[in-house]
Amino acid sequence: MQKVGIVEVAQSAGTESPLSLMEFTYKPVKEVLDKVGMKRDEVDMYILASTDVFHSGMSCANAFDWDASGAFMKPASREEGDAITSFVYGCMPIMEGKCDTVLVVGLIKGSENAENDTLTSFVADPFYSRPVGIQETTAAAMQMRLYLQRYGITEEQCAKVVVKNLSNALFNPYAHIKKRVSVDDVLNSERICDPLKALECAPKSEGVCAMLLASEEKAKKLTDKPVWFKGWGSSMDTFYLGDRDLLDTQLKTAAASAYKMAGISNPRKEIDIAETCEPYAFQELLWCEELGFCAQGQGGKLIDSGVTQITGELPVNPSGGVLAMNPYVARGLYRVAEAVLQIKGKAGEHQLDKKVNTALAHSTYGFCGQWQGVVILGS
Amino acid sequence: MGRAVAVIGTGQTKHGRRDDLSYPDLVREAVKKAFEDAGITPKDVDGVVYGSMPSMMEGVAYNHFYFADALRTVGKPLFRTETCGSTGQSVAHTAIHWVASGMADIVLVVASEKEHEGDAQATMMTILEPFLMVTIGGAPVAFSLQSREWMGYYHIDEDKAREAASIVSVDSHDGGLNNPLAHIRVKLTKEDVSKAPIITYPVRLYDVCPVSDGACAVIFASEEKAKKICKKPAWVKGIGFRGEEYFIGDSSKAVWQSTIEASKEAYKEAGITNPLKELDVAEVYNPFSYQELMFLECLGLCPPGEAPDYVIKGTFSPGGELPCDPSGGVLCCNPIGAAGLIRVAEAALQVTGKAGEHQVEGAKLALSHAMGGAMQFNGITILGSEL
Repeated sequence: MQKVGIVEVAQSAGTESPLSLMEFTYKPVKEVLDKVGMKRDEVDMYILASTDVFHSGMSCANAFDWDASGAFMKPASREEGDAITSFVYGCMPIMEGKCDTVLVVGLIKGSENAENDTLTSFVADPFYSRPVGIQETTAAAMQMRLYLQRYGITEEQCAKVVVKNLSNALFNPYAHIKKRVSVDDVLNSERICDPLKALECAPKSEGVCAMLLASEEKAKKLTDKPVWFKGWGSSMDTFYLGDRDLLDTQLKTAAASAYKMAGISNPRKEIDIAETCEPYAFQELLWCEELGFCAQGQGGKLIDSGVTQITGELPVNPSGGVLAMNPYVARGLYRVAEAVLQIKGKAGEHQLDKKVNTALAHSTYGFCGQWQGVVILGS
Repeated sequence: MGRAVAVIGTGQTKHGRRDDLSYPDLVREAVKKAFEDAGITPKDVDGVVYGSMPSMMEGVAYNHFYFADALRTVGKPLFRTETCGSTGQSVAHTAIHWVASGMADIVLVVASEKEHEGDAQATMMTILEPFLMVTIGGAPVAFSLQSREWMGYYHIDEDKAREAASIVSVDSHDGGLNNPLAHIRVKLTKEDVSKAPIITYPVRLYDVCPVSDGACAVIFASEEKAKKICKKPAWVKGIGFRGEEYFIGDSSKAVWQSTIEASKEAYKEAGITNPLKELDVAEVYNPFSYQELMFLECLGLCPPGEAPDYVIKGTFSPGGELPCDPSGGVLCCNPIGAAGLIRVAEAALQVTGKAGEHQVEGAKLALSHAMGGAMQFNGITILGSEL
């Protein structure tokens, strides 16, 4: 099994762009190739991630994206779903020794889509769940209610996640939402779906993220500081919400596989920074528990302690996370990209003030985290 | 290179109009059969790859969530790979890379479509962007245009092309009669095909694939596992995938670069220099009989512009040098998302001698293929009986 190095990343900002989807996709792809001085044709394989559900009303998203992503007449494929899977797919042909370089591109143009809740209602089955109004936000609200009740987590503790992440986002040039908010602002924002408040829900953002992966030898040639793929795990839960314990998701299984592959036994101590996918504020606390950063039910105490602040012992979402920037499909690849930048020491104003050796990137999609994926990167 | 990979089991539903079961149960039918064929249980599987056509097809987005239980993926990793009509090939490629990379030993691949729960043609209209391309609209229109372009480019006599297309249709439908799982099972003559009602000139009714419900499951395993579990695995010899420009007018569809390059890549990996001689059977994606003629050329199975001559002389008919689509092909069964994976499954059945009534005697090396997008994508998987 060959080592996989991440050479370079490029991302676009989350704010509404006047560019067409093709031009919008082209820019970060070109940027990442320019950074390493490669031509499109020199890349061995392309893996895209996009989704028909969130694709400006067009089906077979890869068809339209093909030219701009650089995949024209190259070995290629597309992941339909979260872009973190395209990253893992991109690692495979390098691990097997078939490719030296793979370009991974995750893309979405949120401003051309209907509301996320409208689109995610189509994820619900048409017979039982959809007629009663189940979509991502209503499902998350039920999960949050259970979380507050079972473990006595407070709404203030959930609001603190928003305050932390939006404050981090002020230093991230690519973040979509840039405003300083207080716990009171969050608590007093409109109740979207009780107990979820408006500021606790992620926005609908644009986002193209391009990432060049390479074999060990090639990576060392292309960059002074490659970041290494160390481990990966993912797991899927059953469909109907009533069949699951919403506070016992498959993230534990996903994280356990990733830690095993990366040889991590104490995640709280060994991981230097985590980028998690928290489209709803309380989920960051729940995911931190399931990732093993604190004991079950202790997510509230974790945020109170300050450990997950950008200056803390284990910063979570120093980029501002998904609450500040939610390019739906691409968001998983953005998590990986931020983890890469932190290890490279190139995160700019939100660079951690410590040596970053091991970083975790997490993503999830589906109601209440039905699919969970964890990637571990190392220096 | 990575580890060797093999197919150790396949399962297909009875294809057709399946009002008798729900969509998740359709998926379950194929998955169950694949496990029975491989003689393993879901707990032996390290992960799952799933794919289908876009969500508009049946009105459920990310339908792998809905099918989580049917796919037996609960508690396991899942990749959803999708490249439009070539999805069936692409899901197989994801699994092959996954096993070859060493991150998984056994992977279940599933693809499905339940077209009677939606409007396939309406969905396909949304693949074309709404400003310029939408006027081309729908598969029969696009593929008829392509047939005309091909005939014009090579100055192929229309009557000759018509005769060859009729032979393709008759052969495929004869194959369908031999395949108990096929959707369309009728005996046709060349006259039936050439005198059938016109859909879009020159394409007539029996030149066109049906609207089908169906699912297919294929289990891939590493060399070590395959040798342990399976008496007769079908080994992956080579894969290839290419995609071309989105806008149809930007490239020649008569000399179809993505088919040509994808097949070259697969042949190279499989060490094939003369595909017509070396291959024993080909499952070519043929939603339209005229398209099969073009594919035969672009896959390098006959010289450019000469497919009608080769077809008329019987090269690709049953008993010919290289029988094509003995299963009946896409002309007899087209659950789109699954159609490309059905080609892989059929190729596996052929090289392991398990194809039953439509077995090509002594087949050792088989090609499977699928096409998708706005006439854009081509994927190939070559399977063989020897490692």
